[in-house]
Amino acid sequence: MLKIDGLTKSYNKGEIRAVDDISLEIGDGEIFGFLGPNGAGKTTTIKMIVGLLKPDDGEILLDGMDVWEEPLKAKSRISYVPDNPEIYDRLSGIEYLNFIGDMYGIPIGERSEKIKHFTSVFNIGNALGDIISSYSHGMKQKLVLTAALMSNPDLFILDEPMVGLDPKSSFNLKEIMRTMCNEGKSVFFSTHVMEVAEKLCDRIAIINKGKIIAMGTMEELRRTAQEKESLENIFLELTENE
Amino acid sequence: MNNKLLSLIRTDLNITFGLSSLMYNIKNKKKIFPMAIIVLALMSLLPSYILMVRALDSFYDVFRQMGQQSYFLHIGFMSAQMIVLVLGIMYVMSKYYFSNDLPQLVPLPIKPSDIIGSKFVSLMVSEYLTSLPVILPFIIIYGRAGNEGLPYWAMSLIAVVALPILPLAVSSVLIMVFMKYTNIKGKKDLIRTIAAVLFIIFVIFVQIKINQMTSQNLMDSENFMFNLARDANLLLNRAGVAFPTAMWAALALTNGFSPAGFFYILLFMGTGIAGFILMMLLAERIFFDGLIGNIEVSAAKGRGGKVDSTSIVKARNPIITMAKKELLMIFKTPVYLMNSVGGVIILPALLAISMLTGGDAYEPMKEMIMESREILILGSIGVIGSFGILNSLGATTFSREGTNMWIQRTLPIKPKVQILGRTLSSVILQVLGGVLLILGILFMVPLKVSEVIIILLFGISASIPLTMIGMVVDITRPMTGWTNPQQAMKQNLNVIISMAIGTLYIFGAGFLGYILLPDQSLLMILGIYAVIIFLSTAFLYKLLENLIQSKFMNME
Repeated sequence: MLKIDGLTKSYNKGEIRAVDDISLEIGDGEIFGFLGPNGAGKTTTIKMIVGLLKPDDGEILLDGMDVWEEPLKAKSRISYVPDNPEIYDRLSGIEYLNFIGDMYGIPIGERSEKIKHFTSVFNIGNALGDIISSYSHGMKQKLVLTAALMSNPDLFILDEPMVGLDPKSSFNLKEIMRTMCNEGKSVFFSTHVMEVAEKLCDRIAIINKGKIIAMGTMEELRRTAQEKESLENIFLELTENE
Repeated sequence: MNNKLLSLIRTDLNITFGLSSLMYNIKNKKKIFPMAIIVLALMSLLPSYILMVRALDSFYDVFRQMGQQSYFLHIGFMSAQMIVLVLGIMYVMSKYYFSNDLPQLVPLPIKPSDIIGSKFVSLMVSEYLTSLPVILPFIIIYGRAGNEGLPYWAMSLIAVVALPILPLAVSSVLIMVFMKYTNIKGKKDLIRTIAAVLFIIFVIFVQIKINQMTSQNLMDSENFMFNLARDANLLLNRAGVAFPTAMWAALALTNGFSPAGFFYILLFMGTGIAGFILMMLLAERIFFDGLIGNIEVSAAKGRGGKVDSTSIVKARNPIITMAKKELLMIFKTPVYLMNSVGGVIILPALLAISMLTGGDAYEPMKEMIMESREILILGSIGVIGSFGILNSLGATTFSREGTNMWIQRTLPIKPKVQILGRTLSSVILQVLGGVLLILGILFMVPLKVSEVIIILLFGISASIPLTMIGMVVDITRPMTGWTNPQQAMKQNLNVIISMAIGTLYIFGAGFLGYILLPDQSLLMILGIYAVIIFLSTAFLYKLLENLIQSKFMNME
């Protein structure tokens, strides 16, 4: 589904390498977790995949198609949920969903059905007529999730999706990710919550100071680290050694 | 002054003028090129400014011949204070009640008057940018012509520094009272915006009325000519009845370092300080009353209603949806609404008001207009066209996205949707302005249906390339890092840059009309304009298409 090759991004005229020559591949139907401490380069990588930051070097291919060469085609197959749900505060929830629906060209029947389904899963159906500025952080997050899922994306990219979600919605989101993967779609997300990554992800990459320092299934990661109990220990050991 | 207030003032000035980010950019050698563009844009406004100052010079001569130079200074102070007052109403509203820093400031252990005091000081600094270009030419022309000495210039300095205090305090008091009594749940933003626009029109109306009364008062005397020759301050004293603070400033300057001079400058400063104290006292009592309802988050628990997703979900063309989203954001954000709608309705409203209240005074003007229909039609087209720039929508369309820019950049839509959707939203307001202008003209002279159609059709078409000029400027240097919607509109240099370029476009087209009018028919001139509008729109569309594509990719 997604192939990243030699991806690099620097700031301050090359002084700071936020992402340093990373390569990875995500297969169809795979949930891929992206772990790393603050400032490791997770968000920068994600922003390059979704078209928000232009890479200095390297390529990002979606089923062989360069996402920077064919941005419209790529964007219509990707949905992105940022770490901070900054959306149009002055619109009502339903106005925002309709806006996104029109931009993705989602047919009315499908749109209506998806809105009904996901707003009920995330329990925000009652607030759709309210203005977004009256929403809590978690409710905004749920609205962004609904909007992102409405287009039925092939690749679902989420930056710290569990932050701000209540336990039930968090559980539901994990279920949704699982269902998507069963349908052959892929999920790529960054997280700080080790437990989520450990239980949910088919494969995990750990990024530190812009470089991928470990990648593989939980089992493979356990083999590379000395402490083999939990992902948290592996994570701490790997990032401290750097 | 307490430490808290000083710290608040320092922080507010820093945020308002982006001082830290400016230093950061200079230090990191970032954005030097855009800064050069800003300087160039400001310089491009200089020729028109110099022309205005020259006109003012001859205006001074008229008063000098009458021996009433002091009245010239009065007009200067009155104009500057009026501008500060009217702009102050808009600035105060957004700065005191709609800034994003308020939810952070209110929970802090500081007094309401500290918040208001700090915001007042930073507004005062902003207002100098408006008042200085107005008052300085008056003071300099008067001082140079009369070979005035040190006392005059020293008094001028004090008067100029104190100038914005009173009008800004008055607008602060008015707005605080206004906000306290309009803090109504429900359609609060809309009520306030409509009320504020009406309020500004009312203030201008009062101003026009005062002017009329003043001019009547000036002439209303049997021995007017005799008195005029005898008393050098006759005009000043009579006009000063309506606007005493401007009179005191003028008298302070003309009397210099004399007891009278000191008396008047103290009076001028004293009223300012009194206004400021009154404002601070009032802030303690009522500021939070108007504010709290404003920033409180009404819990979204379905009071807005559970919506039936089968009936509310509507699929539309993306271009229409983009335009609708733009309009919704504008109509639901008071600062945007006041600036954009204000830009297109104040001119027609003023025209109507002056015609309604002017009585016979405008008869010669009406006759002149009736005689040259071509000028009326072409002029009206120019005015409606200029709404494309005056409503500031094109020049801020991408900046207004702010932190939501990521949504636009991750959507699978072509630049065409961005260009047409955003232009359409602006054009809708231009249509509103156009219709109002026609109504304003109808108060003055009758128009044929064919003339109305020509004016609206060409005016609105002409506004499209002007809107696009704004969009080109805005996508080239979008200002998305704002924390307060006011910054996206009021402190956005893209608006000034677009106005400079737009003015050149309008003046160019106007000059062409001026050359052609004596020899060519109106139809021929309209034909030429149609070609110009079509070609410039096509060129700007292509340019925008490329710019949006590359900027959306390369933005960081």
